[in-house]
Amino acid sequence: MSLSLRDMLKSNSLLSGTSACPGCPENMAMRMVGMALGNDVALIVIAGCSSVIQGLAPRNSYNFPVLNIAFAAGPPAASGMWRAYKQRNKNTTVVVWAGDGGTADIGFGSMSGAAERNENFIYICIDNEAYMNSGGQRSGSTPFGAYTSTTPEGKKENKKEIMFILMDHNIPYLATASVGYPHDFVNKLRKAKQIFGFKYVQVLTPDPYGWMFDPSKTAEVGKLAVQTCYWPLLEYENGKLTVSPESLHCLEKSTRRPLKDFIQVQGRFKRINEEEYKALENYIDSMWEKIKKLMK
Amino acid sequence: MMKTISGNEAVALAVKLARVGVVGIYPITPQTSIIEKLAEMKANGELEAEIIRVESEHAAMASTFGAAVAGVRAFTATASQGLLYMHEMTWWVAGSRVPVVMVVATRAVGAPWNIWDENTDFMSERDSGWLMAFASNPQEALDLTLQAFRVSEDERAYLPMMVGMDGFILSHMKTNVNIPSQEDVDLFLPPRKQPFVLDSENPVGMGNIFPPIEYMRLRNSIHEAITHSEEVIKEVGREYQKISGINNYSTLNVKYKLNDADYAVVLMGAWAGDAMEAIDELRQKGLSVGLYRIRYIRPWSEDEITSALKDKKAILVIDRATSLGRGGPLYLELKATLHHDQMCGVVSGLGGVLLNKGDFKEIISRFVEKAKQGNAKGVGWYYPKGGKKIELKSPRYAEE
Repeated sequence: MSLSLRDMLKSNSLLSGTSACPGCPENMAMRMVGMALGNDVALIVIAGCSSVIQGLAPRNSYNFPVLNIAFAAGPPAASGMWRAYKQRNKNTTVVVWAGDGGTADIGFGSMSGAAERNENFIYICIDNEAYMNSGGQRSGSTPFGAYTSTTPEGKKENKKEIMFILMDHNIPYLATASVGYPHDFVNKLRKAKQIFGFKYVQVLTPDPYGWMFDPSKTAEVGKLAVQTCYWPLLEYENGKLTVSPESLHCLEKSTRRPLKDFIQVQGRFKRINEEEYKALENYIDSMWEKIKKLMK
Repeated sequence: MMKTISGNEAVALAVKLARVGVVGIYPITPQTSIIEKLAEMKANGELEAEIIRVESEHAAMASTFGAAVAGVRAFTATASQGLLYMHEMTWWVAGSRVPVVMVVATRAVGAPWNIWDENTDFMSERDSGWLMAFASNPQEALDLTLQAFRVSEDERAYLPMMVGMDGFILSHMKTNVNIPSQEDVDLFLPPRKQPFVLDSENPVGMGNIFPPIEYMRLRNSIHEAITHSEEVIKEVGREYQKISGINNYSTLNVKYKLNDADYAVVLMGAWAGDAMEAIDELRQKGLSVGLYRIRYIRPWSEDEITSALKDKKAILVIDRATSLGRGGPLYLELKATLHHDQMCGVVSGLGGVLLNKGDFKEIISRFVEKAKQGNAKGVGWYYPKGGKKIELKSPRYAEE
């Protein structure tokens, strides 16, 4: 599926005047959703920055019908919505837009339930690796060693890898993406739209304020995460796992860009010591070993 | 058509007759046989609705809500812990002014575990912004469920509505129920209407952040809609009487031998049957007592209640629910409405404790004694004496 930049820029999913912070990766991702899915979309936004970014009612900067809803209610509400559209003979693509806290923590059960039932919608997890909307607290998706406002000493546990957990749910389509690679994200969403059932796309959205880097660097940090193999770009379809071209170099340790190139550009890993850095690196290595095993 | 069915079956039939589009289902005792019946009807091809077998009650309400905002008639049912687990979403649905109907087969709330009847689960939803009716027999459970769809979808209401019924006592008790025909229900219940439908042709946002003053105005609009729904309920009740053999839906609440009574007993739900039998016998002994059965908790009909009870010498309110530290919720609601000097409350029947006609006779006689001494005040807890045999009589309707 080839995709030109010109085609992509036609999207009007995000209207001007959002309440987002400068350099917001969620705005970038939302624009890409419009590029990928067009306008026949119904969006369910669970609690998070995106409940705020769209602006104060009655104004709304998302050019989609939007249902804002409490944390764990997104996947079941989407289950009800697509069935209602089906009854009304409409082919609208239903999208759940949820943060990593709403996915890995409080909304995990309801997401797993919808995945098990193979409900027909796209679940997009906006992964900025903490509860950024309430001021940057630790979530299940926060990586080892990262400073958050509830882990001032650095998180002591590894990131909960939702994509691996969901592979075991036998869903028809799963992908990971990064706002640093819009073509890849848009292509994956376009593919997801064509498939019936539960589609999960987890997009890494580096947050300038929570991750502590300059707001002009969002896309760059999103790229570094992939280049240093911290964040794998994957696709899982029909029970088969593939690594996207941007991440292929990660399959071998020798061709990986050093992890520190990603760690050093952010303030949240500032207090990580040599030993902890090694532990994080070992974890990344083990993740790639797991990916290689799953590819066989 | 007359059929011998349980309250839960009656509700399932009402859902089918209402041509509901989506049902979010999750099992919890004693509601479960409603959703089992719906699933069975779906499997037999008798039901067109989509059934979503969700992973929790929170999800049951959310899926029902999602279907409703996307423009179809939606239903769910629950009880007890399940209703409490849904509580976040019941507020969300009401705040969105989206018509949805739910049936609650009431049950005690833990801890400790108890599966039997009590109304505290239902009564704890009083502040969530739903219209709330409470049935006293399986017939009424069917009738009120059907009426709930029309009331909640009336543009003067546009509010979700829940119908309660006593768990096991009504949910599982089989009795003769008059079932209206599909043709009649189609005439009674027009196609769904709602203020906003989420459609991609008209990309409106729902539920995004409201400025404080607008938030307060919205809460006010819900309050107004609940109060004004009283007219809608009466109107719908009168319309319903045209398709039903039962003529007691032109008022919100129901009187039994009340007009000429000096003393009034107020309660809600399945208890009304036992209380009516007790009142019959007490009347034969010369006690001037009547019953006022609350059928609608929200809207709370100040006018109906005041005109029915203000001239009574004394009022007894019997609660099958608690507002711990304050007595019973029904008592508190009536106290706030009537400011009557001679009013007392009794809390009983919690967690499935059974009261029979004899217990009601005892409670009511004691109350009348106290009232005669000008001492009908405060709230007491009544424990029935064990081992009494319950006489089974045919179901009867409240009537003047």
